[in-house]
Amino acid sequence: MSGGNTKSNALTRKDFLRYMALIAGATITATEFTACESKKDRYGHIKGSMQGASAKLGHQLRDSTFPEPTIIDHVEAVIIGGGVAGLSAARIFQQHGFTNFQLLELEQHVGGNSSYGQNDYSAYPLGAHYLPIPNPNNKALLELLAEAGIITGYDASGIPIYNETDLCYDPEERLFINNRWQEGLVPNFGVSKPELADITRFLAAMDTFRWAKGTDQRYAFDIPLLESSSDEQFTRLDKITMAQYLADEKYTSKALRWYVDYCCRDDYGAGINEVSAWAGIHYFASRKGKAANAESSHVLTWPEGNGYLVKHLKQYSAQQANTQCLAYKITPHEHEVWVDYYDVNTHTNKRIVAKAAIMAMPQFIAKRLLPAAQYDHAFVYSPWLVANVTLSEVPMGSGYPLCWDNVAFEGKSLGYVNAQQQTVRVTMPEKQVITYYLPLDQLSPVASRKYAINLPHAQWVKLIVDDLETMHPNIHANIENIDTWVWGHGMVRPHPGFISGEAVKAARQPVHERIFFAHSDLSGISIFEEAFYHGNNAARALLAKLGK
Amino acid sequence: MHILLLFSVFVIATCGLIYELVAGTLASYLLGDSVTQFSTIIGAYLFSMGIGAYFSRFFNKNLLSWFIQLEILVGLIGGISSSLLFLLFEHAASFRLILYLMVGLTGTLVGLEIPLLMNILKNRYEFKDLVSRVFTFDYIGALLASIVFPLLLVPYLGLIRTSCFFGILNVIVAIVVLVKFKSDIKWANYLKAKAISVVILLIAVFVWANEIMTFAEGQAFRDTVIYTHSSPYQRIVLTKNKHELRLYLNGNLQFSSADEYRYHEALVHPPMLYSAKHKNVLVLGGGDGMAARELLKYHDVEHITLVDLDPSMTKLFKQNSILYKLNDRSLLNPKVQVINADAFQWLKENQQQYDVVIIDFPDPGNYAVGKLYTTAFYRQLRRALHEESVVVVQSTSPYVAPKAFWCVNKTMQACGYETIPYHTYVPSFGEWGYVMASPSALQVQQDSIPSGLKYFAKDVFPQMRQFTADMDNRPVLANQLNNQVLVQYFEDEWGKYQE
Repeated sequence: MSGGNTKSNALTRKDFLRYMALIAGATITATEFTACESKKDRYGHIKGSMQGASAKLGHQLRDSTFPEPTIIDHVEAVIIGGGVAGLSAARIFQQHGFTNFQLLELEQHVGGNSSYGQNDYSAYPLGAHYLPIPNPNNKALLELLAEAGIITGYDASGIPIYNETDLCYDPEERLFINNRWQEGLVPNFGVSKPELADITRFLAAMDTFRWAKGTDQRYAFDIPLLESSSDEQFTRLDKITMAQYLADEKYTSKALRWYVDYCCRDDYGAGINEVSAWAGIHYFASRKGKAANAESSHVLTWPEGNGYLVKHLKQYSAQQANTQCLAYKITPHEHEVWVDYYDVNTHTNKRIVAKAAIMAMPQFIAKRLLPAAQYDHAFVYSPWLVANVTLSEVPMGSGYPLCWDNVAFEGKSLGYVNAQQQTVRVTMPEKQVITYYLPLDQLSPVASRKYAINLPHAQWVKLIVDDLETMHPNIHANIENIDTWVWGHGMVRPHPGFISGEAVKAARQPVHERIFFAHSDLSGISIFEEAFYHGNNAARALLAKLGK
Repeated sequence: MHILLLFSVFVIATCGLIYELVAGTLASYLLGDSVTQFSTIIGAYLFSMGIGAYFSRFFNKNLLSWFIQLEILVGLIGGISSSLLFLLFEHAASFRLILYLMVGLTGTLVGLEIPLLMNILKNRYEFKDLVSRVFTFDYIGALLASIVFPLLLVPYLGLIRTSCFFGILNVIVAIVVLVKFKSDIKWANYLKAKAISVVILLIAVFVWANEIMTFAEGQAFRDTVIYTHSSPYQRIVLTKNKHELRLYLNGNLQFSSADEYRYHEALVHPPMLYSAKHKNVLVLGGGDGMAARELLKYHDVEHITLVDLDPSMTKLFKQNSILYKLNDRSLLNPKVQVINADAFQWLKENQQQYDVVIIDFPDPGNYAVGKLYTTAFYRQLRRALHEESVVVVQSTSPYVAPKAFWCVNKTMQACGYETIPYHTYVPSFGEWGYVMASPSALQVQQDSIPSGLKYFAKDVFPQMRQFTADMDNRPVLANQLNNQVLVQYFEDEWGKYQE
């Protein structure tokens, strides 16, 4: 099991010191470490909380034995997991007039990776925070957006018109490079001519891949990912790492390497040395979106991130969703499925007897619930830290003004997103909230998880503030509060051979013809579109099975 | 008598008068009304000298050392006084206080000098002799100062360099005394170090005087500042001269009382002319109440809703007697309802429909204000309109920023409005533009306009719709939240103009 083990191998202070130094890319002395623990330093005024996906509750799965349930409910179908996949499945049920189902969610709220928070000043994302403009052939997703009022209509040539307030407001992105903020994330300011030429060549190559089709007439890289061509000339790219691809194609620019690494870390929580070239290129080449009133590279975003989409999706299971319900055993029978769960609200063990079930959860949990199923270790999950920082003001900095996405060149983190970008107010509220993203890819996922879950809040504060200070010197004085959120298993990681491999193919297969799977990790990449796709597919397969 | 000490008296006297003249000139330059300024500055200065003379009795020991300390301090304070006052002028609310504090301090220190020096010399010379010589040199110094100041110093050195130069002279006196009377002086090395650092500082200010001046003048206003207030949203400054009153928001001119009637008549009367109904009017921005003043000239206007972000702005124009004279107490009129809110947010919550909407926002000079000129905003606005409503938007200068101007026009057209762009000449602004718009075709609906207007008339309007080639329509994009092209056009065009 790849989960963090909090019982044995107690971590020493020295271990944490090494870990912090690894993230910070510097030496952290024991004195500094103690100093911020005792809060006598310049971080002392910063308050905040530590949260995360309910790891403790989840670990009961592994560590506890549960008694036989006495309360038994009968429904036609059950969805286990209230993330985007589970909520999407419920939407399909409702659209088919099928309401006799239950949805079980471990957390206090549905939403999964698209969860969000809210304080006095702003709503803010806790994970996924944007959706690129969908590809024209992704009809199901376009339908969802139209239904949610995000697409307001179509122009004469059938290209969607988006609701302007849902598109990312300008200025969109900036990069802190050579002590100055430049517009856009592709390194440019102070970058040498040969490096710029490398970057241009790379982007042109990605554009060629964007429109390339295989012998099966499918796009080489598409979303949903399973719509992509199976032509070997493209799929062979899944065998090597993205770093290898860059080396093979003789890209030597340091700025380009950083940029591609940043993009991979952004979408997969792991850099070019970890993810496959196919996945790396998919990031650049799969998006072919079109909008009548936006450029194809634009994204849809909201102060609460993809939580906005969850708010729409969750209406379809308003009656059926049960939160704080930990499913611990799923037993297939000849004509039914038994789902045993622990209801935290009432402290009781219950059973749902259904004709069929959708397991809308990642593989590392799914296989634990099914008897005799084996968790395939090909599924690797990247841990993440997301921190919401409340501050009096984001300092100006020199160059391009504050954007939605703000990134530092060669930074340790992925920078920060400004939650209040998406407001139509002229004046900023008294306080601002920025969301800081840090993929925990400095160690193996197992080791990172172990350290990250146990690292004290004061230590996170030091790491985060020091990193923000590289972009904004003295920002610490403006910071009031930092809430950290550790995602132990944030994203499935498309390491070489995984997307084209057998494990993921096998995981997509229903069990006993009545247990269906739905999760973005069945594609091998963790994005909204994939979770939505698998939720839809599983729901349709289940309805077909029940003859609905 | 020691020639050196008499020379010191001469220098001290010259310096003392120079500081007084600098303060007086600076005050009349920055605050206007030179008779009052000079008179009160000289009065305050002489009175402070008296205070200094009084305090001289408390110095009993180490007189030479104290004298040297004093010279260094006078050199420092007198030397940097003008730079300091120029730089602090931007904080005009407390500027007078700072000015008189500086004058008082310099005066007190200068007042100490002569009595202290006489105390030092009293045992070395006959009293009669002492008084006669010291005062002779004192008055000669004063004469010299009053002649060179207007003839040489102000024209050739400027105020900052003049005060620096005389500050340095003061410190040189200190250094000379220090060297000559070395054996009689306590803390000699400490005083030497102090004197040298002050000289270096003053030389630096002398060298960078032009930079200081440019920086300070960039912040200052050319007329008398009569009111300043920093609200959470903006800095409000009112200035006045013989002919006019000017309002600046964040340093940008909003109106001059001399010609604002041109701007506001052109803003309000065309949409009123093109609207069949005037019952319910909405004003967005326009917290100065001038647009409301024009609207109230129509008897069929029953209700005006005025939404302005800044409560301190609307309060000022309700309560200040000079200002409510300018807007004819429009904000106190029972027909006018003032709401302090963020316009876009307010529109989202608004349920009412308006016959005429006057939009008078600040220019789209940043991304925050740029949001109020987007297709998203004009679509939101559409819900506050009926088919025949008429809207007008102040749209910056079509001469300076033609792309920005036509971008506003294009943005409104992109939202399905019929538009009529027009412009007028406002001397304090230059050529200024407006876009009138309606969900349906625009046609003149009124037979007459209120009498007593100073500028606008029905037959003037066709001329206002004419655009010469240098201001004419050009290809631009519509301004959206997700591209904010207007801010870019505006920055490019105004940036070039101001270079």
